[in-house]
Amino acid sequence: MKNEELLMNNGEHSSFFIINSSLNKMNTIELQQTLPEVFAGRDGIVSDVWHRQVAFQKGKMYLIEAASGTGKSSLCSFIYGYRTDYQGIISFDGENVRKLTVKQWTDIRKRSLGMLFQELRLFGELTAWENVQLKNGLTGFCRKQQVKDWFEQLGIADKWDVKAARMSYGQQQRVAFVRMLCQPADFFFLDEPVSHLDDGNGEIMARILKEEAARQGAGVIVTSIGKHLPLEYDRVLSL
Amino acid sequence: MIWKLLRQHISVAQLAGFFLANLCGMVIVLLGIQFYKDVLPVFTQGDSFMKKDYVIVSKQVSTLGSLVGKGGTFSRADIADMESQPFAKRTGAFTPAQFQVSAGMGMAGMQLSTAMFFESVPDEFVDVRLEGWTYREGQTEIPIIIPRNYLNLYNFGFAQSRNLPQLSEGVMGMMTLDVRLSGRGRTERMKGRIVGFSNRLNTILVPQAFMEWANATLGDGGQTAPSRLIVEVDNPADDRIAKYFKQKGYETEGDKLDAGKTTWFLKMVVGIVLTVGLIISVLSFYLLMLSIYLLLQKNTKKLENLLMIGFSPAAVARPYQALTVGLNAAVAAMGVLLVWMARDAYLDMLQRMVPDFQAGSLLPTLLTAGGLFLLVSVLNVLAVRRKVESIWRKK
Repeated sequence: MKNEELLMNNGEHSSFFIINSSLNKMNTIELQQTLPEVFAGRDGIVSDVWHRQVAFQKGKMYLIEAASGTGKSSLCSFIYGYRTDYQGIISFDGENVRKLTVKQWTDIRKRSLGMLFQELRLFGELTAWENVQLKNGLTGFCRKQQVKDWFEQLGIADKWDVKAARMSYGQQQRVAFVRMLCQPADFFFLDEPVSHLDDGNGEIMARILKEEAARQGAGVIVTSIGKHLPLEYDRVLSL
Repeated sequence: MIWKLLRQHISVAQLAGFFLANLCGMVIVLLGIQFYKDVLPVFTQGDSFMKKDYVIVSKQVSTLGSLVGKGGTFSRADIADMESQPFAKRTGAFTPAQFQVSAGMGMAGMQLSTAMFFESVPDEFVDVRLEGWTYREGQTEIPIIIPRNYLNLYNFGFAQSRNLPQLSEGVMGMMTLDVRLSGRGRTERMKGRIVGFSNRLNTILVPQAFMEWANATLGDGGQTAPSRLIVEVDNPADDRIAKYFKQKGYETEGDKLDAGKTTWFLKMVVGIVLTVGLIISVLSFYLLMLSIYLLLQKNTKKLENLLMIGFSPAAVARPYQALTVGLNAAVAAMGVLLVWMARDAYLDMLQRMVPDFQAGSLLPTLLTAGGLFLLVSVLNVLAVRRKVESIWRKK
């Protein structure tokens, strides 16, 4: 980090680059006394996350168990930067995420944070491959063969040219999972990844994720309301 | 790929509507400008070297005045009063020659010679771009502007009756006159070259500098009061001019006011046409903006998802910006093409009506088309960007 700073100091926008470079290698995601604004009036919140000091470390695996209505999706949207209706502070390596610029967020979503959305956010009018390609074209991270292998392993190779709208939710989940892998990441964030998957496919997904996370040294944060993605979690939090 | 995703919900009908409406506005604006440029010289033809709107004023020559020898000249007070009028932008006096002039021309073995007179007006009333309208002391050639009537008089009257060749303006310009100036017992021989013909100036005009020199050298030294004034006006159709002249008993020469009036009405009509064209353009721009906004609105979910997986707002906005800029460019190009075609049609007609018609330049039209295209495109690009940014912020 010190070396990087020295290197970057040559540039005119040195401070900007430091922020970016530090974000490109995101090591911790910290939550300090964070609470969704809608919960503000409630008393007696018992949670391992809300209103506490929580830090997610790169390279470790976390499971966040939640009952419905405890703010699981809110947590995802706060950390991914598309909602800001919370109290407290969320920071990446000490940098308050409220201060990040549009460009910084775009970079983070391309290079640091891989997200598997609960609602998937696939494009129904594009085929499975096109959906993946859309992201991969942006990052240039994976070869087509790699994507094919993953499709093969997840049992959706025959859906390669099928429009996403014509696939079952479980199949779509797997496409969205592959799309998430098509980027460099410090953290993979999976919001209920196996809600519509059988155990067999869940295990395959867990294996691929483990391999990818280990290869990049990335952290993994998985949420669940029942069925877990079978991984060796370093820490289990209940929301 | 991103385009494949975002082109859905594009309403061809709406965009076609915009295209036609904007094309309509654009063609009206451009045609207005082009027509003005092309037709204006017809009204000011031959006097392109003179400032556009001027009138020449003289005092009425009355029988009584002639009898008692009272000249119809303007005193200093008259000139000052004229200058103070709100419609007069600039007032200049004609300076008459205070010496004798005779000019001759040798042609077909026959020597024509006639007594003449010279007058001059301040140079700022003559367009300085007119080449050769200069005189320096020692120069033996004098540039001269004569009324076109003189040429017609010769061509259709004199030459016809004497079996002499008719002369075109070009030939006249190449011939030199032998000019003899005499006064105070001195005689100067010089050459005269006709550099222009005027429909509107009823005099033989030489540069002011020459006149000053000649009056000083050959004149009797006395200051003669001018008998005619040249007045530059804002708007020749201004009725204050007519009222003022009537009250003072001044006369204006021939149809000068009429030509000015025609020009002024032409300007006004073109102005109205331009306004209508601009209004249509603005409305069509509004239509495009609505259409694009609707498109963005329908695609909001998709745009949101693209932003979510790491596309920058700029990248997401680009297809729409390209779409609008492309449309605008097509409209501009098409507009210029249509104007060019329309112009071809009316130029033909004008050329038949006015034989030595010279078409105006296309440049103002092209510049206007380019300017409108740039303005509308920049506004579109900014509006699309703002809309996409608002989708980003909504989250």
